[in-house]
Amino acid sequence: MINRMMSGLLAAVVVTGLYSCSAKNISSNYYYEHEKVLEKIEQSYKELYRQKPFTLAFTDKDFRTVSVEIITDSLSYIYEFTVGEPRLSDTLRKYNFSATGITRLIDLMQSIRCTWVNNFDYYVDEQKKFLILISIKPVALHPLLTYKKYYILTFYSQPQQFDEKGRLLDKRKRRRLRKINGEIFHRINDKVCYTVSGQFR
Amino acid sequence: MFIQGFLFLFSMSFFAVGPAIALHKASRWEEPTVTSTREEAIAFIDKIKVLAPSSSWSNIKPALFLENLRLNIHQPLSIYPGRGTNFCGYGALTYLMLQDDPLGYAKLLLQLYNDGKATFGKVTFDPSPEVKKAAGTLHFKGVLDIHPAEQMWFLSLADHFKGYLNFFNRKYDPGDEDSFWASVNYAKFNNMARKLLNYKVHAKGSDLIRPYTNGLYDYISEKLKTGIVVLYINNRILHKKKLEKIKLAVPTHFVVLQEISKVDDIVTLVYWDYGGRTLIQLSPHFLQKIVFGVSYCTKKEVND
Repeated sequence: MINRMMSGLLAAVVVTGLYSCSAKNISSNYYYEHEKVLEKIEQSYKELYRQKPFTLAFTDKDFRTVSVEIITDSLSYIYEFTVGEPRLSDTLRKYNFSATGITRLIDLMQSIRCTWVNNFDYYVDEQKKFLILISIKPVALHPLLTYKKYYILTFYSQPQQFDEKGRLLDKRKRRRLRKINGEIFHRINDKVCYTVSGQFR
Repeated sequence: MFIQGFLFLFSMSFFAVGPAIALHKASRWEEPTVTSTREEAIAFIDKIKVLAPSSSWSNIKPALFLENLRLNIHQPLSIYPGRGTNFCGYGALTYLMLQDDPLGYAKLLLQLYNDGKATFGKVTFDPSPEVKKAAGTLHFKGVLDIHPAEQMWFLSLADHFKGYLNFFNRKYDPGDEDSFWASVNYAKFNNMARKLLNYKVHAKGSDLIRPYTNGLYDYISEKLKTGIVVLYINNRILHKKKLEKIKLAVPTHFVVLQEISKVDDIVTLVYWDYGGRTLIQLSPHFLQKIVFGVSYCTKKEVND
């Protein structure tokens, strides 16, 4: 009898784990739990990017290998480094980047398992606008068998429009959902949205 | 078992492509395409000051179309297949077309815009009403959003040329620029290049099996000395999108190679894709791992 009750309890816990920890709940909570670090990443990336365009991505599960894309007018350079190796700072200095600033940003990204930070261009009424896109691979419970493992956060400069379900809308056609890489984005606040995706970029 | 059988059938279908292409190549030799210079194309396009709205392409703004066409001719590097789309094969093809016959490209796109259909060599483009409605409306694809000439052209190419990847989705529905409807397999890319460019295209590789060479680096660098080289690569490894250890070993991306060199067992590649040039360094082993196809293109000679 006790065994049967224990089995029942275990099954209930598993089912609760599978269904109540929906990716949607985790990701909006995730933002508030890590708000300060996320904002720091966004602000510092925006400032460093303004000085010289680049993107950063972690390319291994242990968050030890970082891929740096250095964007110039004529060529984009993609290099991979192990975090902390002298070659990384040397390269950043060679391209006139703030080596200290970018190293600090890499540390921040590593601390919350942020896989990618990028500056995204988009167009409203033919005018170019930018948003900062931050991808994270959190260590959190996921519904089993799901392939969506990355939280994608987008930081806009201006307040955005949403429908009654909190889904991001296209500004040009107010009733059309705005999809980025095929994903629908949800409201966290007026300028920050999130989605859960199978890919981090 | 089923998957193995499926893969076997597919791989057989790639090998079967060889003779068909050879026959097609033979027929092309009888009627070579006349090519042009960039100066001729610039002189032609700069003379056009205003375009009337097109009755076929209702969502394309004429001024934006003309501006886009001018940009492509003046700066072929700017060709941008769009973020998240499956247009990269068409982008690489267009980049080659702008090297090979920029005036032909300009006239073809203007004819397609004005008449709703156009003929280039033996190929007649007659895009479907769905494609005509979609061109000019693609959004959140980066700078492609404001490049209606490229939208029209990529959609028309995808609508016209079909490969086995397009088998289950042959008719355009909104959003299909990101789906299998727009996909380009290796044989399809080479087929398009042979039909639209004045190049002899020698293709080595396939969608599943990597090309056999006596040293891939040597083979590619040798070919690059005398012609244009397009690489068909597994971009999921080169440009990771997931941190999974097990990755599908299939090619997904076309790049136009511009430089290749090797120092201390590190290979440096400079290639064109997505509106610009990229430099990347990798080991010879990694190069072997990501390259599934090497298309070597040389200009046809008078006797060809």
